[in-house]
Amino acid sequence: MRTKLTIAIAGVGLLLAAAPMWAHHAFAAEFDPNKTVKLEGTVTQMEWINPHAWIHMDVKGPDGKVVNWMVECGTPNTLFRKGLNKNSLPVGTEIKVDGYQAKDGSTRANGRDVTFPDGRKVFIGNNSPDAPPEK
Amino acid sequence: MTRQTLAIGGALAMAVLLSIPASGQAPSAAAKPGALKTAWTPPKTADGQPDIEGIWTNATLTPLERPKELGDKKFFTEAEAAAFEKQTVQARNADTRNPDPVADFKAYNEAWFDWGNKISKTRQTSLIVDPADGRVPPYTPEAQRRIAANARALQERCERAVCPPSNSGAIPADAPEDRPLMERCIVWDTSGPPMLPTAYNNNYRFVQTPGYVTINIEMIHDYRVIPLDGRPHLPPNIRQWLGDSRGHWEGNTLVVDVTNFTDKTAFQNSTDKLHVVERFTRTDPDTLMYEFTVDDPATFVRPWSGSIPMSKTPGPLYEYACHEGNTGMTGILSGARAMEKERTKN
Repeated sequence: MRTKLTIAIAGVGLLLAAAPMWAHHAFAAEFDPNKTVKLEGTVTQMEWINPHAWIHMDVKGPDGKVVNWMVECGTPNTLFRKGLNKNSLPVGTEIKVDGYQAKDGSTRANGRDVTFPDGRKVFIGNNSPDAPPEK
Repeated sequence: MTRQTLAIGGALAMAVLLSIPASGQAPSAAAKPGALKTAWTPPKTADGQPDIEGIWTNATLTPLERPKELGDKKFFTEAEAAAFEKQTVQARNADTRNPDPVADFKAYNEAWFDWGNKISKTRQTSLIVDPADGRVPPYTPEAQRRIAANARALQERCERAVCPPSNSGAIPADAPEDRPLMERCIVWDTSGPPMLPTAYNNNYRFVQTPGYVTINIEMIHDYRVIPLDGRPHLPPNIRQWLGDSRGHWEGNTLVVDVTNFTDKTAFQNSTDKLHVVERFTRTDPDTLMYEFTVDDPATFVRPWSGSIPMSKTPGPLYEYACHEGNTGMTGILSGARAMEKERTKN
């Protein structure tokens, strides 16, 4: 059993070590891993486009000025299979986004976590081995 | 992937595996690993082909290559499989941004992905089944020289030009043509052949007409049109992104011979001499066994094979019009320009 444990642990480690970004494009070429952003604001538009969906949102800065941000999400197919659709984020919805800003300094970010103000996640991975298989 | 994350992964695996009861170690007779082939006979299409129509998915957590530490262990027990699944999903979904925010992998959570949450129903430990260690065979000396020369050329270029990361390492971004085919929405590297699972869109629609099988790959919306009439392959001067497929039925198994690959793709560092043979066998109403053999004498010291049981999925298959809003390319190129400015400043 002891040998088995070691094998399994090392195996999983290797698997993860070999895991690349797997998104449609290389994250760190487009976004800056050192520029984390926390955005709070209201949805102005949800674009259901390939290869990635985009949330547009108005964010009020510390100076009171409102700036429109674009936030990249997963692929429309994946989001739709996870139960999201065009009614999930209507204009005016308040959300918080944790992500990374674009390398070129523009007001674009990737949205790692998108949550409602009460902390509920908007995009729920729901990827537990105990969960029913997804359609 | 940082060492820290690995350590966390290891600790998680330890916690999960320690909780496995001893009785969970032996696989039950009913779920014998690898035993998918049955005497079941598939129905026939109107023109008499074994019916493999429908939408199938190859989403799986089973890795292409077996982790070295597992040696020749071909199958997980049920308990090992459950532990492996749980740990893999947890580790992939873990919020590991703090305290070190630098690794790419942390930029996404599971909401972005659709690679499933199970290993293959055969419980095989790798998709590769031959050679016995479940890994891509060693490269030939010729391939090693080629790979090393390419790496040197890239390194020389990256000493002069800014080289942002990509899914295949840091590469130039002077123009879109510098970037990988995936970023350019031209072809996804798992569309193959061989067709392998990836992070999402792991769905394939098979349509059979008299004389043809067509496979519509959801990822980047690719099509494979496979004639069954015994016609020869395309002439050698014609090269295609997905190669050139010719099929025939051997009993209930569709055998597809694929050649005429282009040197613009390089599956596991292969050349355009890549030769893939695929076998599709519907072993029960909900399982399409996909087996493939890869050969390229210019690259691998021997041919190698893998298998994935594909599962029936209700669909629908969605369009993945990759060019529709591919702002990623703009973002990558403008990011590279920003890196250049930064470099000039310093």
